Parts: sequence; structure tokens; C-alpha cells
Amino acid sequence: MDKLVAQYSRPAHQNEFHSDPEQQDLDSGLPPLSLKFALPPVDNHASFLRAMTDDHSNPSCPIKLAHGTTTLAFRFQGGIIVCTDSRATAGNWIASQTVKKVIPVSRLSRGEDKPSKDPTPGLLGTMAGGAADCQYWLRYLSQQCTLHEIRHKRRITVAAASKILANLTYAYKGYGLSMGTMLAGVTPQEGPALYYIDSDGTRLPGNLFCVGSGQTFAYGVLDANYKYDLTEQEALDLGRRAILAAMHRDAYSGGFINCYHVTEAGWVHHGFDDMNPIFWKTKLDHGEFSNVTSEL
Amino acid sequence: MTMLLNHASHGDGIGYSFAQPTAAPVQQHSFYPYTDNGGSTLGITGSDFAILAGDTRSTSGYNINSRMAPKVFKIGGDDETGEGAQIVLSVVGFAADGNALKERLDNIVKMYKYKHGKPMSVSACAQRLSTILYEKRFFPITYTRFWEGKGALYSYDPVGSYEREQCRAAGAASSLITPFLDNQVNFKNQYVPGSGEGHALEPKKAEPLSRSTAEGLVRDAFTSAVERHIEVGDYLQLVTITKDGIEEAFQPLKKD
Amino acid sequence: MDHFPGTWGRPRNDVYGAYDHSYLHTTGPKTHTSSPAVTGTSVIGVKFNGGVVLATDNLASYGSLARFTDVKRLRTFGENAVVGFGGDVSDMQYIDRLLESMDIRENYSSHGNMLNAKNLHTYLAKVFYKRRSEFNPLWNHVLVAGFDGEGKPFLSSADLLGTTFSGPHLATGFGAHLAVPILRRLFPEERPIEDISKEEAVSALKDCLKVLFYRDARSIDKYSIAVITKDGIDLKEDEQIENQSWAFAERIKGYGAQTK
Repeated sequence: MDKLVAQYSRPAHQNEFHSDPEQQDLDSGLPPLSLKFALPPVDNHASFLRAMTDDHSNPSCPIKLAHGTTTLAFRFQGGIIVCTDSRATAGNWIASQTVKKVIPVSRLSRGEDKPSKDPTPGLLGTMAGGAADCQYWLRYLSQQCTLHEIRHKRRITVAAASKILANLTYAYKGYGLSMGTMLAGVTPQEGPALYYIDSDGTRLPGNLFCVGSGQTFAYGVLDANYKYDLTEQEALDLGRRAILAAMHRDAYSGGFINCYHVTEAGWVHHGFDDMNPIFWKTKLDHGEFSNVTSEL
Repeated sequence: MTMLLNHASHGDGIGYSFAQPTAAPVQQHSFYPYTDNGGSTLGITGSDFAILAGDTRSTSGYNINSRMAPKVFKIGGDDETGEGAQIVLSVVGFAADGNALKERLDNIVKMYKYKHGKPMSVSACAQRLSTILYEKRFFPITYTRFWEGKGALYSYDPVGSYEREQCRAAGAASSLITPFLDNQVNFKNQYVPGSGEGHALEPKKAEPLSRSTAEGLVRDAFTSAVERHIEVGDYLQLVTITKDGIEEAFQPLKKD
Repeated sequence: MDHFPGTWGRPRNDVYGAYDHSYLHTTGPKTHTSSPAVTGTSVIGVKFNGGVVLATDNLASYGSLARFTDVKRLRTFGENAVVGFGGDVSDMQYIDRLLESMDIRENYSSHGNMLNAKNLHTYLAKVFYKRRSEFNPLWNHVLVAGFDGEGKPFLSSADLLGTTFSGPHLATGFGAHLAVPILRRLFPEERPIEDISKEEAVSALKDCLKVLFYRDARSIDKYSIAVITKDGIDLKEDEQIENQSWAFAERIKGYGAQTK
């Protein structure tokens, strides 16, 4: 009733604009901390979202989001190796060949990624599925990790960080998020720790994960050659080789091979290298990929 | 707009990994809230400059709405002239969404300046634009857009994933322009002549472009796109950002 | 998430239900104006030296029925602004009430209604965009004519999605197909607006209305025309299309049963 009275006791044009809180949100310069998201005013918003954005079910859907990936991470005696490809596809279109799919989740790095020989303290997250979902929520996780450091005067454990993320994805289950991410870090409490978290709300600890449309190909190489006692160089080479296999066989993966090594001191970046010369080197020097002819 | 406050209930959309018997879906609205106004944009950066260019045609279907509807906007400057701006935004796709986004970001950059007494840095603004787009994760603003300022170029997907890049084409003719940029800016599939035979051929290394070369590439990209895409044409809006400020120029393109 | 490369990371049918194509179609039951009922057709406008002319016919159709033959679709706002409405008539009347209440508020202030056509257009575009974001659109395509803040002639369009664009001459609906080519021939891009006289602009619009009446089945030969200059608005609402010549109709053959 109050609403009805309010509607007729003020001029019509005042009803036809943003409410005060909405206007405040539009004017304020700060990003919202309360996780407010606009929803389409329809009965089933997840299915509206899917109708607009699922380019697999409907190749002519109006909004195409960046998708497709191969990412992997595994524990070994020297820490954790994290490797990814760099391709983003929107439908059949390659939207980018230079995506950084390893996202630092730590206070000091602040998302910057300058190659350096010195380890940078912090965790690493990987990006598979919706690019924006991973970037946004890993950034949110960085914020939470920093707050944890300030509150408790010590770095967050990988277990706790991964739980924050998993609780979040579970809270938004059914809304249409798409992310498959791995969190890797080495802490004094846990040693090397690796977790898999996805948008269904799954959270799994483990030694070895491959995630993305090229995961099966990467698993094939990794499972065949993986040992816990690999040296650092052997481990990096194995990671690169597994990504290369996925890039070769999965159309949605390609571009550059991105390689990281995580130790207790932090993570070290081991290059962002074009796959093409690596592919030919692997083939010509080691005699692999014999399915491809070497004659030009 | 319906806002989702904190973690509200899941609604009907909750999913389980096992099959659920569901009633026939209730379909209440038949209004389609998007349209495509065509056009294309292109950004290239060099060591000390950035160019953002777009055509000025606005279309709906086969109709040309307007031949002079610029889609590269100055952000954080004077309302009418754009003076004092240091950041440039271009949006391509659904123009109404683009305008709303432009005004939103313009507001934010200005409020930042008033609150902190200094202009917003390009990297901060890039990050902020990403969160603005992600706020509409479940009701996306349409189509690709990209954005830049002071020698840096960032490109975005409709829900806010972003990346800093050397060059990027977006919009209707992006599939025509991007291969041209790959070849001419990043020298993809170009080799140093005489460096060897077969597998020994050495790939040509990409160098930072000079401003005149970059402007030439932009013009060539658009004149070629106009030849082969019906939604691109009329005028080329060329905005160049250097440390001295923003220069804007319009040049005619074919009008057919 | 499954292991098929093509569908990896995509919404799964067992979680989200089958892909629902109906969101992309515009049929089905309605709760808001999701398709218009009583509608007006084209609005056309031209800028000239020192002002703008805007014209619409006076018909409101109900589907193919010429339901109301005396509906005025031009609305003045303040001293120097006119809005021409195409699309749903009930939404037009709703916007009319909005503008009425805004006009009253402005006139209570000490300086009177200072809003010019450009301000009005910005407002209307924002209302349209807000309503489309609520999926409750105002099903109109309007032209706003008058003067901008610098006193230059202003003509701009806004539609139900909030899309805006402007130009020296504009037309909505069927007019975009039939009137714009005529106007582009008479007033090519290189011809400056200062070169176009009021009389020339008015007669061009009358020609356009005539052509629209010949070919647009949802139009009528009664029209309204508003000439906006610095001196004010000259609004005529009961005009009749004159000098019609249906001679061309004799030559049209080959439709329906008539095949020779």
C-alpha cells in the first residue's frame, strides 16, 4: 500500500529513474565489496545467460565469451610445476594467442608478472573455463589472502585459500559460472600443496591435475612419464611436453607455453615460449610426433 | 535492476550432478534486449604512443542510422570537448550499452580525481573497468570492447576478462583486420630472407613500430575492411595518445 | 565438467537443463509490452538554417486496422523542443505524462523550463535504456528536435533499446527506408545546413509524407508538422497531404490474382 501511495504522491518522472541506492552505486568511484551483481529480470536467469552465451549449443548465440584451455600442475620433490597454454577461443574464432593463464594470487605481486630469477612470494592460480570468471575470482581471492595476512600476521595456507574459493563457487552454483582452477603453493605448515577447485563447487587436494578441454592429452603424457623424484629441469620439461601434446591434439589449445615453478620462497617464471619452434625441435631432435611429416 | 545481495538463495536454478525431474520451463519474456550497431575499432601501441581508431558508421540491419557516430570516447575530460582526458575508451557492438559504459567509467575516473587529487592511473582504470563489466556477469553487456591510455592498450571480453596487448581489432570487421595485424605488427609467418633453408629459416622479430608506420597500418586496415564489410565505412576516427596529450583526426572512408 | 574438448567448461544439460532457444525468439506469452498493440508509423525530421522541422501522420493502427485516425504524435516540450513518437501509442502517452510532470517541476523553479532539446533527448534515451534493462521496454522510436546548449539546431533519435544517433535528417520506421533516400538526395552530406531554407525543408517533408502515404500501408493522408525556430514552435496538427497523383498505380501489375 505504501508503495502505491508513494507511486501517486510524487511526480511520474521520479518513478522512472534509478532508486537512490542504485544511483549511489552508479556515482560511487569504488568497486563494490558486497558482491552485488546485476541479474536479468527474467524467471530463470541462468537459462537466459546460457541462451545468450553458450556458443557450443548455439554457434550463433549473440555473446561469445573466451573459453578453452589446457592447464596442468603437479607436485614433485622440488616443489610444484605449473604449465599452461595461452589460447582463448570464442566459438571458432581464436580471440587471443597470448593469454596469461597463470595468475599470481599474492599480495606482493599484485597481479604484475615481470620475469625475474628471484622467487616472488605467494600462491599461483590457473585459469580454465571462463576467462573473466577466473580473473575476477582469483583477484577477489588475492584480496582475501592479503586480508588474512594482515589479520593473522602470517601467510594463508593453500588449504584455507582454496576453501575460500570453493565456498564461493558453491554459493554461486547454478548461476552459470564456468571455471576450473588449480591453486598451488608451498607453505611451512603444508609443504607443497595443490588443490583443484571448479565452478560446480568441487575442491580436491592432489599430486597431479590437468584441467581444460585438452586435459586428456596432457594426462596421457604426464601419467606415462611422471615420477616424484624428477629433477627440477626434468619436471619443467615434462610439463612443457604435456602442454605441447595437448596443443597438438586439441584445437582449443595453442599459442605459447607458459611455465612456472613454485617453491617455499615463492614462484619463479620459466618462460612464455612460442609452441611452434618447440614443436619442431621436439620432433626433429627427439624423433617424437612421427605422425607429422618433416618434409616441407 | 534486480540486484543480488550477498549470497541470496539459489532460486530455481540450482543444479545437481544427477538428473532432476523438472517441470516444463516457464518462459515469461519475449523481449530481446540486444542489437548490433556494427562498426569496427582497432588499437595499436608503440613505445611512446598509442593509437585507437574506429569507423563512424552506425547501422541497424541493412540500414545506416548515421554516418557520423564516433565510437572512440575520451574519458575523464571536459563533457563537451574532452579536454584534459588522458584515457580513451572505445566500445563496439550494442551502442546503447557502450554509451552507458562510457558514462559509468567517465564518472568513476572523475570521482577518483576529485577524491584523491590526482588522475587515475591507466592500470588502475583498466582493473576498475574489468570489475564494472564483471558486475554484469549474469546479464552481460554485449560484444568485445577495448580501451587504452598513455601508451598502454587493454582489451576486454563482454564480462571483464582483460589483457594488455600490442594491438587488437574488435567489432564487425575484426576477423578481417586481425590477420593483417598478426602479419604486419607481430610479423607472424614472416622469416628473415636468406637465413636458411626449410626448418632453419629464422622468424622475423617484431620491433616496436614508429608512429607513422602505425598510422599507415591503421589506415590500410580500415580502407581494406571497408572494401569487404558492409557495416564499416563513412569516416575513420583516429585518436592518438602520446605523453603530450590526445590528438583526434577524422578522415573520409568510402560511403557505399 | 566433462572430458569432451568441445563442451568442456560449457553449461551442462544435467545441471542447467536443455539449451533454451526461446530467449532468442520474440514469441510467447507476455507480461510487459513485449510487442506493441496500437502503433504509429514513421516520424521524419530535417534540420534547416536556423531550426528543425518534424512531421508525423495522424494515424494509430491496431495491427492492419486503421483504428484511430486523429492521434497527434508530435509533442512540444518547453519553448523550443518537440518530440515525435513512432511505435506503441500507450507508451507514447506514458512518456507524455512523464514529460508533463517534468515540465511542471521545471516551471516551478525560479528560472522556468530551461531544458533544451538536447537535455530532453539525453533524458529520454536514459529512460529507454533503463526500461530495456528491466526487460520492460517502452516500445517507441522517437525523434527529438529543437536546439542544443549552444543554440544550434538539434535533431536526434532514441529507440526502445536506448540506441541513439543524430544527423541532419532522420526518419524512423518505414521512413528509414522510403524517406531517407529522398532526403539524402535533396540534402546531400556536402550541403551545409545553413544553405537549406525553411521552405525547402518543409516542402521536402511534405514530399516524404506523400511517398510514405503511397507505399506505407499503415499511414494516412492527415499529418502534423512542427517547425521549430528561435521564435518558437509553429505546430500544425490538422494538415492534409495535397497534390496526390496515383497515376503510378496504373502501371503496377502482377500481384495476387491479377497476373497480367
